[in-house]
Amino acid sequence: MRAVLWRAISGQRRDVVVGAVLGAAHQAGEVMVPVLIGVVIDQGVAGGDLPALARWLVVLAVVYVALSFSYRFGARAGERAAERAGHALRMELVERVLDARGGAEEGRLPGALTNTATEDAKRVGAVNMSVMLAVSALTGIVVAAVVLLNISVPLGLVVLAGTPLLLFLGHLLSKPLEKASEDQQDRAAHASGVAADLIKGLRVLKGIGAETAAVARYRVTSGDSLAATLRAARAEALQTGLVVALTGVFIAVVALVGGRLAASGEITLGELVSAVGLALFLIGPLEVFAWVNAQFAMGRASAARIAEVLAAPHSVAAGTEQPSLPVRGSLRLSAVSHDTLKGVDLEVAPGEVLGVAAVDPADAVSLLSCLGRTADPASGTVELDGVALADLDPAALRAVVLVADHDADLFEGTLRENVGGAHPEAMAAAGADEVADELPGGVDGHVSERGQSLSGGQRQRVALARALAADRAVLVVHDPTTAVDAVTEARIASRLRDVRRDRTTILVTTSPALLAVADRVVLLDGGRITDAAPHADLVTRNATYRTAVLA
Amino acid sequence: MSRELLPVATAARTRAVLLDLIRPHRALALGGFAVMVVATSIGLLTQPLLGSIVDLVDAGESAAAITAPVLALVAVAVTQGGAMTAGLALVSRLGETVLARLRERFVDRAMRLPLEQVERAGSGDLTARVTGDVSLIAEAVRVALPEMARSGLAIVLTLGALAILDWRFLLAALISVPVQWHTARWYVRHAGPLYARQRVAGGAQQQQLLDTIGGAKTVRAFRLEADHTARVAERSNTAVDLTMRGVNLVLRFYSRLHVAEYAGLAAVLVAGFFMVRSGAASIGTATAAALYFHSLFAPVNTALVLIDDAQSAGAALARLVGVIDLPEPAALDRPSSARIEVSGLGHSYDEGRPVLHDVDLTIDRGERVALVGASGAGKTTLAKLIAGIHRPSAGTIAVPGEVGMVTQDVHVFAGPLADDLRLARPDATDADLREALTRVDALTWAETLPEGLATVVGEGGHRLTATQIQQLALARLILADPPVAVLDEATAEAGSAGARVLEKAIETTVEGRTALIVAHRLTQAAATDRVVVMDGGRIVESGPHDGLRSSGGRYASLWEAWSGVRPTSENPLE
Repeated sequence: MRAVLWRAISGQRRDVVVGAVLGAAHQAGEVMVPVLIGVVIDQGVAGGDLPALARWLVVLAVVYVALSFSYRFGARAGERAAERAGHALRMELVERVLDARGGAEEGRLPGALTNTATEDAKRVGAVNMSVMLAVSALTGIVVAAVVLLNISVPLGLVVLAGTPLLLFLGHLLSKPLEKASEDQQDRAAHASGVAADLIKGLRVLKGIGAETAAVARYRVTSGDSLAATLRAARAEALQTGLVVALTGVFIAVVALVGGRLAASGEITLGELVSAVGLALFLIGPLEVFAWVNAQFAMGRASAARIAEVLAAPHSVAAGTEQPSLPVRGSLRLSAVSHDTLKGVDLEVAPGEVLGVAAVDPADAVSLLSCLGRTADPASGTVELDGVALADLDPAALRAVVLVADHDADLFEGTLRENVGGAHPEAMAAAGADEVADELPGGVDGHVSERGQSLSGGQRQRVALARALAADRAVLVVHDPTTAVDAVTEARIASRLRDVRRDRTTILVTTSPALLAVADRVVLLDGGRITDAAPHADLVTRNATYRTAVLA
Repeated sequence: MSRELLPVATAARTRAVLLDLIRPHRALALGGFAVMVVATSIGLLTQPLLGSIVDLVDAGESAAAITAPVLALVAVAVTQGGAMTAGLALVSRLGETVLARLRERFVDRAMRLPLEQVERAGSGDLTARVTGDVSLIAEAVRVALPEMARSGLAIVLTLGALAILDWRFLLAALISVPVQWHTARWYVRHAGPLYARQRVAGGAQQQQLLDTIGGAKTVRAFRLEADHTARVAERSNTAVDLTMRGVNLVLRFYSRLHVAEYAGLAAVLVAGFFMVRSGAASIGTATAAALYFHSLFAPVNTALVLIDDAQSAGAALARLVGVIDLPEPAALDRPSSARIEVSGLGHSYDEGRPVLHDVDLTIDRGERVALVGASGAGKTTLAKLIAGIHRPSAGTIAVPGEVGMVTQDVHVFAGPLADDLRLARPDATDADLREALTRVDALTWAETLPEGLATVVGEGGHRLTATQIQQLALARLILADPPVAVLDEATAEAGSAGARVLEKAIETTVEGRTALIVAHRLTQAAATDRVVVMDGGRIVESGPHDGLRSSGGRYASLWEAWSGVRPTSENPLE
């Protein structure tokens, strides 16, 4: 958490320093304003001296020009630092989520993760602006103290001792706020996660007429969030009230000491006015401190959430080896046990088209996660060209082996962008050319986020075209045609071998049309391989296979 | 498909809806306002008390004489702090409660939007409004609202206090007002369009993050990390650039305010000079006036800066109200009849691209009909029209009561499994849930989940298989218990082994209901009372499975394609 905060600040050193220096200059100028008010009253108003009044008003104008410009450029640097730090954190989060070793999404809703990448990143970035403001406020206090010490040592000492005391109390007061704020933000994130989840399931809700029930559910979540927010708001109101009261008492003390000094003639009337004006002015920087404290509290809560995502354990270890080139594309599974798999032995020759028919879909899923290395098997090894997958860099592995899930997401963009460029052969083989014909704009037609503007069958064909177009040495496809009609499926099956010629292809499916084009089919039953032969042979000799594939 | 974002409300409508929301909390609003007035007024006693210390010293009083005003200052501070706490708590309570009602109404409305409209806008539009806009308004309510209340009152009451000292001080102070007024107008004119662009950029960024994060597994599998990182970077950079343009605007705005500050302060000092010289005011009064004006800087700046937050919150609010205010879609006014009667039905999603032509279809009560045809034949469209999810472009549909539908778009709602099921029937007992799960053969696995029916499923929870997700969808339909069920490729994603389980589950699900089943697996069609074959948006064949198979028509050739990959000549299905 500290590391995240520190990186956010140190990454923007230059702007933070420029912002702090100019911000300090601005505050020094702001201090001069009450001092000059005192001088004007002393030399001009009290003495009835018109030229002196005019002279000091000119000085005041000069001070204004200086403080105005330093604020303008200082704040610009501070805001720039805040925005850039937020952007850097956002990118760091996205890179962590997309890390080849995975693991960051485990246990987190995409809506909540998105919220972390937008709102939390912004809050942590805003700490830069808080730092700049804190430095300027501190400068204001120091300059005011120096001026006050010049007027009178005891008066200056009162301010110098009182200010840290106030700051310390302010810090103590913000502690409970931090807890309440954390709780409130968690619930707010949850409430917005629930809302996003319900909106995502809108089609399902409409199908069963559950809109009213969904709204009732959201009301409960929203109510919980409101209760937490009100607790936080009460804590914040109390804190503000206490800061106001403490500041007022502090000013009374300054007035008491300053008034007695003026009464005894040790300081002039104008100096008393300056002192009181400065004490009043100090409310500003002190309140900035209270605000900065609250901002830091929120920044810390957000940084903790970001740090948690960044530190999420990886699903698989890194592995350092690269696949040896050229990749031949042979795979060997030796005694692989993982989830539902119980000691699977399997060899796939380079260029082979292998069918895998799983009686239990869970076996297929386990096999896919081992082949795509989204998980390492609990025991046993998977080897590519004789190198264990666990020793390979997962990113480098995926450049060679592609596991195309049956529920693969499409993305917002054109059809062509989704397939990864113009790949007429892959498009035709997957039947995606027909999707292009149906889409307004053809291959340049628009696909909405997660491909939701397409039907299930269209999505599947585009996803298959993308998998074929990626042209990996090893391709593992999982149930690629479940939402495709029988006629189109038969056509896809007939073209698959040709488009994948000489490269290893594994078809994990129970579709007879696809299994019929495989060189060899293995039957996965009860976590083990129980038979292996071409489709036609299995159909005649294996009753389990017949039921799994044909019934 | 071109984007057609959901509407944004006008300023007048936004105000009206807001007032509507505040109305039930009038007492809270008035109470909060009154307490804040008291707190601020008490605080304004500070400057005259300081002025009186100046006058006491000027009059040559002893040091002991200033003890009384100092004690009064302490009393002012403590009372002001207490009143401020109460006032701010009340104001926050008002704001937060209204905000909660607002977001609830938004979700309420969003849930009832016609699907076509949501799809045209992209679901990201709704999501961005319910997350980004709500959180923006929440921030404004949490920070800007109490600040605005404090500053606004401080300004009004301080100007009043200046007038009480002497009306000429007020007049001098008001010199700064034209500059501030002009500056505020200049700012609002430029800020409005800029904020509108910022909102759009924020929505685009949110959309991209949802796309990338939600599809992270696919991004990794296809090594699209660099592409997606670049996409996020581009949208994030655009948002950052627009924010910085906003910052520059605000800072130029401040520079102009400094001019106003100086002009007003100089005027008050000059006024003090002449009034003291003519004996119209004491030095203490002139001091108090200068201190008052100086103490106005902070609240004036705060209030003017809050125009900023108020503007972006206002834009966000208009986006929420835009959805809240959408007219209730007229209830699907469909004639009821003892059976499903479709006549002359036509439909097109985009003008000039019809997907259904002149469809007539009758389904008797209790009859199970399978829809068969190639992708794009119009099966799904016909199913959705009968289910009442879309409104037909032409023709009529009569149905016997409510229609429940399970589509290809499956979703598991994040949260406990039992909560997911209860969306279909909120008052269902545990026994009801178990019975529904039993009927779709899902109780066994449901009970072996780590925490049974209380297990958290959906995104971020326990992962269910495709078959389990479909069983859940069917169990929901059983719980919702509509007289008519429309099932669209509900077995499509489960693979063959799962498909067998699901086909059985579907059979129990449609028991006692009139059913329309969009069949992908032809085995499913074979098990229904009647098969309807579609092609190119028309019904081309209709009849029982056996009859069509032997008729030599399209269904017969479809059946050929499906069973032709089989090596055996006899059909293992029979």
